Amino acid sequence: MVTSINSRARRVEILLNMMRPERMQRILKILPIAVFVCSGMPIELAAAPDLSGTWDNGSGIDFINPTREGESICLMGCDPLPAAPAANAPAANPPRPIPKPDRPAYRPEFQDKVRDMETRQVYADPVIRCLPPGVPRIGPPDKIVQAATEIIFLYDDVSGNFFRVIPLDGRPHRDDVEASFLGDAIGWWEGNTLVVETVNFNEDTWLTDDGAFHTADLKVVERLDLDDDKLQWRATAYDPAALAEPWELRPRTAVRAESEILEAPLCLERDLEHVIDETHHDNPR
Amino acid sequence: MSGALVSRLLYRLLLFVCMAVLAPGLPAHHSVAGMFDMSKEIEWTGVISKIDWINPHTYIYLDVTDADGSTVTWQLSTAPTAMLRKAGLTKAMLMGDGAKVTITGLLARDGTKHLGWINKISYPDGHFYQFARSPR
Repeated sequence: MVTSINSRARRVEILLNMMRPERMQRILKILPIAVFVCSGMPIELAAAPDLSGTWDNGSGIDFINPTREGESICLMGCDPLPAAPAANAPAANPPRPIPKPDRPAYRPEFQDKVRDMETRQVYADPVIRCLPPGVPRIGPPDKIVQAATEIIFLYDDVSGNFFRVIPLDGRPHRDDVEASFLGDAIGWWEGNTLVVETVNFNEDTWLTDDGAFHTADLKVVERLDLDDDKLQWRATAYDPAALAEPWELRPRTAVRAESEILEAPLCLERDLEHVIDETHHDNPR
Repeated sequence: MSGALVSRLLYRLLLFVCMAVLAPGLPAHHSVAGMFDMSKEIEWTGVISKIDWINPHTYIYLDVTDADGSTVTWQLSTAPTAMLRKAGLTKAMLMGDGAKVTITGLLARDGTKHLGWINKISYPDGHFYQFARSPR
């Protein structure tokens, strides 16, 4: 009992000692620093933005800019609208200039192959033959499902639906899988930017729509940011065996889509037997 | 330089300029100019009887009835369904209500009969779906 009373008295003494003016001044001095340190850590951990959602990147083709006027829809080559839309009609998109083709530069020893692939691009295009487009040709994801330890990219593309499961838990690239069309990806956060690094590609895909080939040494780094609720996608292709320098694609912006992605219709090539020459045009994607 | 040679060179230059002007109006799949005659636009009137809702190109079947009453089905391809869907188009919207539609487009260059490309479909009530720039 005596011990207990003594103990309580000791605690009161300590408390009174802490509340002495000079002690309180010292505590007040370090209080803001303590609050900053303690509150800053959880804020930093929760900083990764949520990229989840369905994203519309304009079909991935810069010159496809659908416009609507009443029930009419125009994908390309749209004339100026004949009359001012009614007050309650959806606003038509303004016409956009057609950008120049975005292509990588190749090492000198590949110039003959560059010319050959550019000439034969219609016949050689893997996507016209319904093969997966590869990365970065596939562009920004059409849908993102984000979790703490992985992020999943889903695509609804011309040659089918595709997915990429991208671990975010710090693991290295796998060494137990075959080279593939979409490669082996890992991801991490750099501040608010999601960085996705992909390697282990096969050589059956192109970097662009118009014959930009690559080797199996290709590495693609994509960077995704949220800016004013728009998804900003940038990608750089590194392939020193073929490219004269790393190729940074033209950035793309995707907005939140109004509709969900769907199961892609079957891809059935039935045109090439009717193509009579190598006429083509450059695709600005 | 002979007059014939000059006019041939001028013709080639004109052809090149025409192709350069038309090219940006083509869809992503750059096989169109190699497959269809870009120099003139054709017009068909008929009823859409079937749609192959596929990639890389959508195929629309148009039943066209001649003056003598015989009906021919044209196979007309256009942009990928992937692009049509993202523009908000559906197979049902393209089918319409079974009424006659007017389609403008291009003929196959390899001479295959009743094969063409669709630039634009116009419906009786005036609304339309346009997939490519029309040659002028």
